[in-house]
Amino acid sequence: MMTSQTHDFTADAGARVRIEALAPVARFSLRVRAAGRPVLGRALGCDLPDRVGETARAGGRVALCLGPDEWLIQAGEDEADAIARAGADAYAEAPHALVEISDREVSFRVSGPAAADLLATNCPRDLDRLAVGGATRTVFDTAQVVLWREADDAFRLDVWRSFAPHVRALLEIGQAEIAAGL
Amino acid sequence: MSQFRIPGKGRVKHDEKVTFSFDGRRYEGLRGDTVASALLAHGIHLMGRSFKYHRPRGPVTADSAEPNALIGTSRGAGRFEPNTRATVQELREGLMCESQNRLGALSFDLGAVNDALHPLFPAGFYYKTFMWPRSFWDRLYEPVIRRAAGLGRAPSEVDPDRYASRYLHTDLLVVGGGPAGIAAALEAARAGVRVTLVDETPEMGGSLLSDPEVEIDGQAAWDWLAAALDELRARGVRLMTRTTAIGYYHQNMIGLCEKLTDHLDTLPENAPRERMWRVRATRVVLAQGALEKPLVFHGNDRPGVMLAGAAQSYLHRWGVKVGERAVIVTSHDSAWHAAFDLAEAGTKIVAIVDTRAALADELRAEARVRGIEVLAGHTVTGTRGRLRVASVTVNPVENGRVGDPRMLHCDCLLMSGGWTPSLHLFSHTKGSLQWDEASRTFLPGRMTEDCHIAGAGRGLWGYLDALSDGAEAGAAAARALGHAVEPTGFAVAHDRPGTGESHKELPTDRRSHRVRAFVDFQNDVTAKDLRLAVREGMRSIEHVKRYTTNGMATDQGKMSNINGLMIASDAVGKAPPEVGLTTFRPPYTPTSFGAFAGYKRGATFEVTRATPIDAFAEANGAVFEPVSLWRRAWYFPQGGEDMEAAVARECLATRGGVGIFDASTLGKIEVAGPDAVEFMNRMYTNPWTKLAPGRCRYGVLLGEDGYIRDDGVIGRLSDDLFHVTTTTGGAARVLNMMEDYLQTEWPDLDVWLTSTTEQWATVALNGPKAREVLDGLVEGVDISAEAMPHMSVAECRVAGFRARLFRLSFTGELGFEVNVPARHGLALWEALMEAGKPHGITPYGTETMHVLRAEKGFIIVGQDTDGTVTPDDAGLGWAIGKKKPDFVGKRSLARPDLVAGGRKQLVGLMTEDGAVKLEEGAQIVLDPDQPKPMKMVGHVTSSYRSATLGRSIAMALIEDGRAREGETVHVPMPDGVVRAKVTSTMFYDPDGERLKL
Repeated sequence: MMTSQTHDFTADAGARVRIEALAPVARFSLRVRAAGRPVLGRALGCDLPDRVGETARAGGRVALCLGPDEWLIQAGEDEADAIARAGADAYAEAPHALVEISDREVSFRVSGPAAADLLATNCPRDLDRLAVGGATRTVFDTAQVVLWREADDAFRLDVWRSFAPHVRALLEIGQAEIAAGL
Repeated sequence: MSQFRIPGKGRVKHDEKVTFSFDGRRYEGLRGDTVASALLAHGIHLMGRSFKYHRPRGPVTADSAEPNALIGTSRGAGRFEPNTRATVQELREGLMCESQNRLGALSFDLGAVNDALHPLFPAGFYYKTFMWPRSFWDRLYEPVIRRAAGLGRAPSEVDPDRYASRYLHTDLLVVGGGPAGIAAALEAARAGVRVTLVDETPEMGGSLLSDPEVEIDGQAAWDWLAAALDELRARGVRLMTRTTAIGYYHQNMIGLCEKLTDHLDTLPENAPRERMWRVRATRVVLAQGALEKPLVFHGNDRPGVMLAGAAQSYLHRWGVKVGERAVIVTSHDSAWHAAFDLAEAGTKIVAIVDTRAALADELRAEARVRGIEVLAGHTVTGTRGRLRVASVTVNPVENGRVGDPRMLHCDCLLMSGGWTPSLHLFSHTKGSLQWDEASRTFLPGRMTEDCHIAGAGRGLWGYLDALSDGAEAGAAAARALGHAVEPTGFAVAHDRPGTGESHKELPTDRRSHRVRAFVDFQNDVTAKDLRLAVREGMRSIEHVKRYTTNGMATDQGKMSNINGLMIASDAVGKAPPEVGLTTFRPPYTPTSFGAFAGYKRGATFEVTRATPIDAFAEANGAVFEPVSLWRRAWYFPQGGEDMEAAVARECLATRGGVGIFDASTLGKIEVAGPDAVEFMNRMYTNPWTKLAPGRCRYGVLLGEDGYIRDDGVIGRLSDDLFHVTTTTGGAARVLNMMEDYLQTEWPDLDVWLTSTTEQWATVALNGPKAREVLDGLVEGVDISAEAMPHMSVAECRVAGFRARLFRLSFTGELGFEVNVPARHGLALWEALMEAGKPHGITPYGTETMHVLRAEKGFIIVGQDTDGTVTPDDAGLGWAIGKKKPDFVGKRSLARPDLVAGGRKQLVGLMTEDGAVKLEEGAQIVLDPDQPKPMKMVGHVTSSYRSATLGRSIAMALIEDGRAREGETVHVPMPDGVVRAKVTSTMFYDPDGERLKL
């Protein structure tokens, strides 16, 4: 994923944990019954995992299972139309809802040795149990987020657009706190 | 060197001096001191005055249970804290402390007149004294009580410190870093469990820090401790000191408050002062130990009277002798060891006074070796000394008879009434307590949470027992987590096991009304007060507590509850468990508001949601108003306009030309699937089957009770796809309600709901020129009146962006709403502003939106409805699909009370004088001359000045309102009654001609 902005924080703070705003991607919310799951998986060119919190990847597309009948589909920005078309073509065979939400959320990456500590300031999930490559829907303070673990020390948060400044402000307070070393 | 400091002794750093001030005087202490230990090292016991009687007081404890030595601490502007326990606050360079509760000097307190007048202030004196005359209450009694109430001086400046929060997940949380807690942590960590160990003090070790003579597994206590802590660290155990477990909540959620900077000489930049940890622990071991009880006798509160265990701690942890001549008075063996340790350090032990007649031979022998006089079977009947104890009177007790007094001179009196297991956190879980008759104390009983209790916290005494029990608890926790372990054994030499007896107040030869034997030091509650409360009819300990305030101080009765219970149960004549123990509630110790607030202050106090177009409003001087979590542009004042002028201008510009409005906050839900139309038919009152794709309809949503919950315009984009809009505040609620029905009532429907509120930015254009503004910007659809009639929707491009274009109107003018992906919202707005320039396009805010809709009689859910308004009440009966078999709320609409006459109906109101604007919420009566209380027939829901109509307009809910059209009603206001005529709610263009452009 491309990084559009890297904010200029003090070297020390940045060394322990970095916060980046990420460039937009194509995002869709997919809702479909179990019977239609393989159909949509084929249509979208990416398997739909059946365990909540699991992800599957294929050809730059990622499918995250968020609920028994709910997936988040993510892809490069230029693939949005192709994904929408693929869904429409499969609709007759497997009725579903495939709603574009690319603009509903914005994403931040939090990375560095203290990344998990920073998230723990406002996220009640046990991050030790979030495996690399997995993701989960949770909250950061009172804002709903989809939290992805990209690496041991790198996470991504998808936040509803209007909540993003609040989340960002809290992340920066936490970053300063971590830099203070206490 | 301070007179009472023993060179080289204790865990303080003797080579690191720290200076601080107390009541303006500079003192020197050592790194590792508390304020109390540093002052005691200078021979200062007098640290404060009591709350009610202003009696001189000194520290009784060396820990967080301290009731007396409360001080104000400061490190400069805004960083003053009252009621800090001098026994907890660590010294830091430049720390400023002050004593509290005094009028004048600490050593000569004018408020001490209360002490002389103490017969006037018995328990419950509030309820008896300030009754009459009634007129004295407001001017005399209440101000006096208010001035006397409250402990310490409240800070008045904004707190500049930061406070942090953190979540923590751990397999095992061990509360208490004493021997039992450390043993538990060791055992579990060795088994591979993820362990967190917390202790409220700056150092792990608990009682071991005050008992260095003990040997564990062949090592001196402190060596064993250092090795154990090294092992814990090496095994990855999270060790947290200065961290108090303040509350134990459901499902093993424990709140921890960690103090981060109060002990630091200088504040690191951006460092939080405290951090609140919210810990979710799979298992918990409570190893909080036991609290030593005072003995209750006349004069037991004088400075210099202290718990024996505290004196032992001051000696071993801080190298401080609490006096030169000590008398010990005890009912427990533990105080004997304190006496022996003090004797070795050079304090003259005048006598050990034990209330028990039968004493262990070993103790007597050890006392004899040290030349200490032992007075067995004795009581204490009084102390003397103005600001410090100078003597104590002891008497033998034989067969319940108190014998002749004997006076012992001393400068400190060390007492022990035995030990109470610390049950606070266990009590938070609502676990049951069991009365143990043998030890005369409550012990933890049935558990409600996944926790274990170890050591002195469940009544065990002695290091071997505490260590073994801790290891067993750690092993049990590990087993519960799926690890197979057998607890290790310990070898303990020089252990200090012991037993004791529990007492009510000690027997005395004084006349009972002359006895001032304190039970609750902080609230100045005496044994006599408790007995008075029982005599006056209090039978439950809960009543006794509230009547006397025993245990209601900031220490939550850590020292007073059990003594209070013993006395109350004796007075009631029932066994203690029948009188009951009061409930302990979080927090365990006083906790700052800052720690609870955490990050929720200033800009991050609460989420403020802003739309993609917010930047324009901000740059163009908009005044904002909060609407649910959103901030919305309220109006756009120009050139010094006030709100009324700005709104009038915005209204006229919209009706006369074109206005532009940011409607992005409207809730949006995509309803998709083969059963979408069936779902819509069941959710909303309106019929949807015949709504053609490309058309819109105003929808009304009811609750099961038939009352209006939400409304909005809904567009059908295709057979299987609806674009639903909701009110701004209702967005989340409506989606939840829909999901609830879908998942629980109609799981068979093939339809799915997705929130798209934030996917789309929405810009509304209203006014006769709206189409002209849009014309050049729209691609892919014909927006002429013929091709796109009122209540249409189309997918197209606007200003180059993919868009959903609605033709609808919330103003009564020709109107469009353009939805584009949110990131383009601002660009769309700017393009429309540019295109609208020739037409005088005018941005308007929510207030103008409200006025324009009111002129047309459109309701705002939540303003003109209040959760008890049906569609018919609101004049929306037309929106009900009469032929539909069912929809949410349909059956309720047939309820007798919803079809009966006399319901309040929404109508228009026009004041007789158009210059008078009614107040929203004002009550309405039919006859202003009727006697009070008048019958109110309704109230004003919306009221505005309408620039379009040149007069005020209002909407109101009035009983049978529609039948009263043309009648005059009356609105009584503080400055007179306003007359108004009942009208239709359609004030402007009632035939809707303006929509037909």
